[in-house]
Amino acid sequence: MERRDFLKFGVLTGATATLTACEKPAQQLARFVPEEDFVPGVAASKPSLCTLCPGGCGVVVRVMDGEAEVIRNGQRGLIQMGLAKKLEGNARHPVNRGKLCARGQAGLQVTYHPDRVQNPLKRSGPRGSGDFHEIEWQEALSEVASKLEELRSQNRADSIRFITGNMRGQRRQLINKFLSSLGAPPALQFAPLDEPVLRRANQLNFGRAILPSFDLERSNYVISLGADFLGTWNSPVSQSIGYGEMRRGRPGNRGKFVQVEQRMSQTGANADEWVACSPGSEGLLALGLAHIMVKEGLRPGQPETAQSREAVEGLRNETYSAAQVASRTGISANRIERLAREMAAHPPAVALIGGAALAHTNGLCNALAVNLLNLVLGSIGLPGGMFFTPPISIMKGATSPNDNSDFVSYFRSGHFEPTEILFVDHANPVFATPQGWQVSERLKQIPFLVSFSSFIDETSVLADLILPDHSPLESWLDDAPESGTSEAVLTLAAPAMRPLHNTRAMPDVLLELAKSLGKGVSEALPWKTFEEMLQRSFREIAQAERCDLSDGFDKVWGRVLEQGGWWDGECHIPPPQTTSAQFRAPEFVPPVFDGGEQEFPFYFQPYVSEAFLDGSLAHLPWMQELPDALSTVSWGSWLEVNPKTAEKLQIRQGDLIRVRSRHGTLDTPALLNPGIAFDVVAMPMGQGHEQFGRYARRRGANPMNVVAPIGVEQVGSLAWASTRVSLSKIGQKRRLCLSSGSLYEKEEQPGLR
Amino acid sequence: MAVDLDRCTGCAACVIACQAENNVPTVGEEAAGKNRAMHWIRIERYYQGEFPNPRVKFRPVLCQQCDNAPCEPVCPTYASYHTSEGLNGQVYNRCIGTRYCANACPYTVRTFNFFNPFWDKPLHLQLNPDVSVRQVGVMEKCTFCVQRIKASEIQARAENRELREGEPTPACVQSCAPKALVFGDLNDPESEVSRLARSPRGAKLLGELGTRPKITYLERESWDGQNS
Amino acid sequence: MVKTADEVQRDLLRPVVETPRRAVSAMVGLALVVLAGFSAWMYQVYTGIGVAGIDRPVFWGFYITNFVFWIGISHAGTLISAILRLSNATWRRPITRCAEVITVFALLIGAMFPLIHLGRPWLAFWLAPYPNQRGLWPNYRSPLVWDFFAINTYLIGSLIFLLLPTIPDFALLRDNLSGWRRKFYAVLCLGWRGTQRQWRQLESAMHIMAILIIPVAVSVHTIVSWDFAMTPVPMWHSTIFAPYFVVGAIFSGIAALIIAMVFLRSSLHLEEYLNPRCFDNLGKLLLVMSLLWFYFLFAERLTTWYGNTRSEVAVLWLTMRGPYRDLFWVMVGCNFVFPFPLLAIKKLRTITGTFLASVTVVIGMWIERYLIIVPSLSRKFLPYAWGTYRPTWVEITITGATFCAMALLYLLFSKVVPVVSIWEVKAGLRVPSSAIMDESS
Ligand SMILES: Nc1nc2c(c(=O)[nH]1)N[C@H]1C(S)=C(S)[C@@H](COP(=O)(O)OP(=O)(O)OC[C@H]3O[C@@H](n4cnc5c(=O)[nH]c(N)nc54)[C@H](O)[C@@H]3O)O[C@H]1N2
Ligand SMILES: Nc1nc2c(c(=O)[nH]1)N[C@H]1C(S)=C(S)[C@@H](COP(=O)(O)OP(=O)(O)OC[C@H]3O[C@@H](n4cnc5c(=O)[nH]c(N)nc54)[C@H](O)[C@@H]3O)O[C@H]1N2
Ligand code: SF4
Ligand code: SF4
Ligand code: SF4
Ligand code: SF4
Ligand code: SF4
Repeated sequence: MERRDFLKFGVLTGATATLTACEKPAQQLARFVPEEDFVPGVAASKPSLCTLCPGGCGVVVRVMDGEAEVIRNGQRGLIQMGLAKKLEGNARHPVNRGKLCARGQAGLQVTYHPDRVQNPLKRSGPRGSGDFHEIEWQEALSEVASKLEELRSQNRADSIRFITGNMRGQRRQLINKFLSSLGAPPALQFAPLDEPVLRRANQLNFGRAILPSFDLERSNYVISLGADFLGTWNSPVSQSIGYGEMRRGRPGNRGKFVQVEQRMSQTGANADEWVACSPGSEGLLALGLAHIMVKEGLRPGQPETAQSREAVEGLRNETYSAAQVASRTGISANRIERLAREMAAHPPAVALIGGAALAHTNGLCNALAVNLLNLVLGSIGLPGGMFFTPPISIMKGATSPNDNSDFVSYFRSGHFEPTEILFVDHANPVFATPQGWQVSERLKQIPFLVSFSSFIDETSVLADLILPDHSPLESWLDDAPESGTSEAVLTLAAPAMRPLHNTRAMPDVLLELAKSLGKGVSEALPWKTFEEMLQRSFREIAQAERCDLSDGFDKVWGRVLEQGGWWDGECHIPPPQTTSAQFRAPEFVPPVFDGGEQEFPFYFQPYVSEAFLDGSLAHLPWMQELPDALSTVSWGSWLEVNPKTAEKLQIRQGDLIRVRSRHGTLDTPALLNPGIAFDVVAMPMGQGHEQFGRYARRRGANPMNVVAPIGVEQVGSLAWASTRVSLSKIGQKRRLCLSSGSLYEKEEQPGLR
Repeated sequence: MAVDLDRCTGCAACVIACQAENNVPTVGEEAAGKNRAMHWIRIERYYQGEFPNPRVKFRPVLCQQCDNAPCEPVCPTYASYHTSEGLNGQVYNRCIGTRYCANACPYTVRTFNFFNPFWDKPLHLQLNPDVSVRQVGVMEKCTFCVQRIKASEIQARAENRELREGEPTPACVQSCAPKALVFGDLNDPESEVSRLARSPRGAKLLGELGTRPKITYLERESWDGQNS
Repeated sequence: MVKTADEVQRDLLRPVVETPRRAVSAMVGLALVVLAGFSAWMYQVYTGIGVAGIDRPVFWGFYITNFVFWIGISHAGTLISAILRLSNATWRRPITRCAEVITVFALLIGAMFPLIHLGRPWLAFWLAPYPNQRGLWPNYRSPLVWDFFAINTYLIGSLIFLLLPTIPDFALLRDNLSGWRRKFYAVLCLGWRGTQRQWRQLESAMHIMAILIIPVAVSVHTIVSWDFAMTPVPMWHSTIFAPYFVVGAIFSGIAALIIAMVFLRSSLHLEEYLNPRCFDNLGKLLLVMSLLWFYFLFAERLTTWYGNTRSEVAVLWLTMRGPYRDLFWVMVGCNFVFPFPLLAIKKLRTITGTFLASVTVVIGMWIERYLIIVPSLSRKFLPYAWGTYRPTWVEITITGATFCAMALLYLLFSKVVPVVSIWEVKAGLRVPSSAIMDESS
């Protein structure tokens, strides 16, 4: 076919697409990116949302016209359409203020990934074989509908389950409405990056099961216990912005930043003072610091409630004296005293906790201890301290605690709840859970598994049906970030481009199912499309928040879509409420580790990879080729060992090491790291995929293979830092893609390659 | 440009921003293992000391746009040349691949197309139409996002006005959350970049070589005020 | 006993007139290896320069090593024969031509490498100044462009220098052969009839060329050295490089000449002409160059070590203590420790002695070029960007092929032109026999 004809044909199908858009949700989007807007070569900016981590940053998509091969009405063809070319931060978005992290920018490659699922797939081989064949949407949907109908008629709706990833806003609402209207239990949430422990602590102390925000801009002293808050933790971009200002934004006033951990993280690498403490003793250090401030009467005065006073008095207990704490944390007593006095002398000071510090069996008391320290520092709800992002009052559940515990109990409860049909959306539990949970085995028991995944990953490969979702750039998105900003924020975004493949937005698919299920369900979900739902819910919110709708709702709606969401200034939201603090007397329980010290001499510390997070981004070539900040390794995984330890074990850089725990083994090359404790070995999460596209498949090793399936006490979420392991050389070498030629700049150490 | 090492967190947002903006290809595991990855800006990581008192220094290194650029005179075809605006230009079409310039560059920031770049379809749709894709055997490097500079100049001329502060903004600068990267007009003494360039913490990378780089690095400072 | 002019003529024409089987099979063998090298290059052009082992930061490797090496070898001939001619050393007569031939072929091979190493060799012609509608000219500030001119000048000069004295021998061949070959040489000898006038013109032309070619030769390796010395790379950016390279060039050149002579001697039965006397004299020259080379190496290393600049010392120790340690000491052994006694002790300065010394010197000088290029590039200023280099089969094949190409060209040449200048040797007969005849024979 001539190129010109191809163009014509393309334009035709493009047109049909627009016409049929009204009934076919898959083509709804056409309306929001009118091609006629495009002058060839002139870029348009479309606001969007980054969905890659819980940070919830606002995005601006650079869209330019181009020719893309797309599927329309079952036909492949070349059409002129707006194509996303680059993702940048939305300068008006309160969370990330125009900035975007490396991952966020690589989100572009999710849309254009060569291994995206392009059509609905039906399993043709045995489970896990990865043999699928393409089917029509109608066929796929009617199959699901009949299954649901059947279960409903047998009153076995409770055997309909739904697993989602970390998800906020109306998307989550829609899923739960759908489930409840069927009489099914609410969706289970699987979010490996979430900090359920911290939520629980904040629930107990502040009555808010949400993650805290920090006013780093204005703090003069920041101590972080294991939180990689400049890299992957909580709201990294907003925290990085604040950090920059804390360091250099206020002439003549440079804040101090102390990091406490066992393995120097990207965040720790920036600390003015880096402190190593024994694993799991972070909470005790916090109490020790508080103890000194209370005892020496150093704490900056602040109003307090009766029982918070009681809690503070509890700190005088000698078990938290510098000497006691020193012996159990491995930090010298005078260093602890010095730190405490420095902190008190440089208000406002604030303490953060995250990462491994919360992933020990005693994670909860570590978290509570740090909250108490913040109380003593007087940094709660005040400038330069910690606070909570105000919720949008009526968005019930929209920002509700994404607690994994229900998910955990679902899989770990002795009797695995009988499930007839399981939907999985934006979650890959098979990859990101320890072998011990046997997630994969249990999923295999489920008769009918439906995945909305855009990729064949370790979980969707088990599915009977894959109903591929649009990529975020092709979807209607909404989100209410729970941290990283001092104003209530509702991010709202229309699709930045039309879909490339024969995919459908998951919410629209649910709405279509609801329609076909009829009685009960369709009433509960009256909207034609997800867009309509968003618009309706926004109208409610706008009214509830007393927005100024004087110049008509449509105007406001248009303005909101144009700016990429809606936040303070648009509406009037009550300031943060943190007075209802409920502090309890301090207590510290030491952590428990899996595996005996003799047989398993090393603490095994997996850490969230800057490039891949929990592994959900390992399929992106840009992320694979990005040298890791500290190891500078790309395209693989590695085990970090202290050079002195390595010398003892005669391990050299690149030697393949067999890591063994009570629960499994893995092989990965050794990397010498001068920034890790002698008795700790660390490994990035995210590699070791069996599936997940050509760039991630069969690459590196997955630390989850050795992680012990222990839960955090009183919370139940995975205590992923409480495994002990043994190391042994297996006599092979593996070339690491090392981008650094030398560990050191000045000293004459030999370059490690 | 000014780079405040006291702000840089080593997050590498700039690296990906540049890769996305400038159609920098990925080369794959084997080539990356041979140090053939092509990022135009890299985050150098240097340890100082070791456990229990390790320190790390991050340093973003990109083309320093030297006023006295060793990479320019050695190029036999003028592919590496000095533009009228004082940038170090790279004309891909002119490059015949002697790699002489890359040896001459003391900062090792020039990257070379050892093979033809390749994007698995439809990843090619991410390519930025404002930047040409480079062929095998061609040298490339940071251009200070010249396409953005030109675009802003054209825009300014169209509205017949001077360029404003913060315009143009290179992709790396735009993405840098802690504002470690600052870009601006060094000829304007009032611009923020000029102000930073005059900072007592300021230093040129390998300044002793006399390449007269246009990038000023603001040294990292320890809390009690000494440079470290 | 002293040979008569006729005997000389018969001996020296024989190789041209008759071709033994051995020679043919040798040529076929060599040709095959050369073909392999050529295929390897075509594969590289087709697939991309990436099939070579070069990487970042070691952007130059085997190819540039070979370039410097062969250009160095090319200094054997012309320079030596020119000097010997001017100094009118009588023992030069049998060897000048073998020497000049080396120059021409080594240059041709050496000059190929800059093209082989290009990322886009099909655009190599942009190095040449040629009028084009874009009004684009090469950058005359670039040492690579200087190379272009220097090498071409040297090549043309050496060709003339080689061909001038062959004219009378071509005439001789014309007169002694029949059929197409007669016509062939009739063309080559440019109508030489041996008149007094022609002889006088030839002599003066050769004299002028001999004077002109010396500065050209020196300039060539000077400029090659500047390819390195002009860039701010640790241990490259040094004023010693120009003389260092020239000395190294002559050093390896003489060694190559000796090796070539040994082969010609046996394969073409020129024992009486390429006699121990020649080897003894060349051996002395080689000894002098070996001492000079060592002196330069010492001077370079000492000043670097004493100056103690961080980046430079890093490279210094990389070569002398680091991963390149073994190569470095092999080089010192090959270029000095081993040849020195062989050449210094008169008893050992035999044909075999000088031959062995020359072989090690050639090997040593190749290693020297490699050690100048690779370590410096792998340890530039920013330690983060330090790297390593490992050659691939492509580079190795091409390198090997060029050595065979040299031998092949040499053999072919000896089939067309008498490698020992007949008329000059005859002329030598008129001077005391001892000048050319070995005492023993
Ligand atoms: N596939 C394809 N073909 C096209 C086009 C396209 O977009 N794609 N565009 C069409 C259009 S609009 C045009 S204007 C033409 C342009 O076609 P060309 O005129 O070929 O333009 P280019 O290929 O950009 O550059 C010209 C060539 O000049 C070489 N060059 C660069 N510097 C020098 C130099 O100093 N001396 C010499 N002699 N050569 C040099 C480059 O290697 C390049 O191959 O192509 C037309 N054909
Ligand atoms: N780095 C670098 N930049 C260059 C050049 C270079 O050599 N190197 N070359 C320069 C030169 S010479 C030129 S001419 C320009 C070319 O640059 P452009 O003028 O941008 O040429 P294209 O990108 O080929 O075409 C522009 C758009 O036209 C669309 N198009 C194709 N057919 C049709 C049609 O029938 N109707 C409409 N409305 N649109 C259509 C294409 O899809 C594309 O999006 O690039 C210039 N830029
Ligand atoms: S922090 Fe990065 S990944 Fe997370 S939302 Fe923001 S941009 Fe996306
Ligand atoms: S984006 Fe900024 S902070 Fe991050 S690495 Fe680059 S320069 Fe440093
Ligand atoms: S940094 Fe290197 S590439 Fe850039 S101008 Fe200077 S010498 Fe040239
Ligand atoms: S590689 Fe290209 S740019 Fe560099 S010197 Fe050679 S021709 Fe010039
Ligand atoms: S200025 Fe532009 S080209 Fe240079 S590093 Fe930054 S983004 Fe890349």
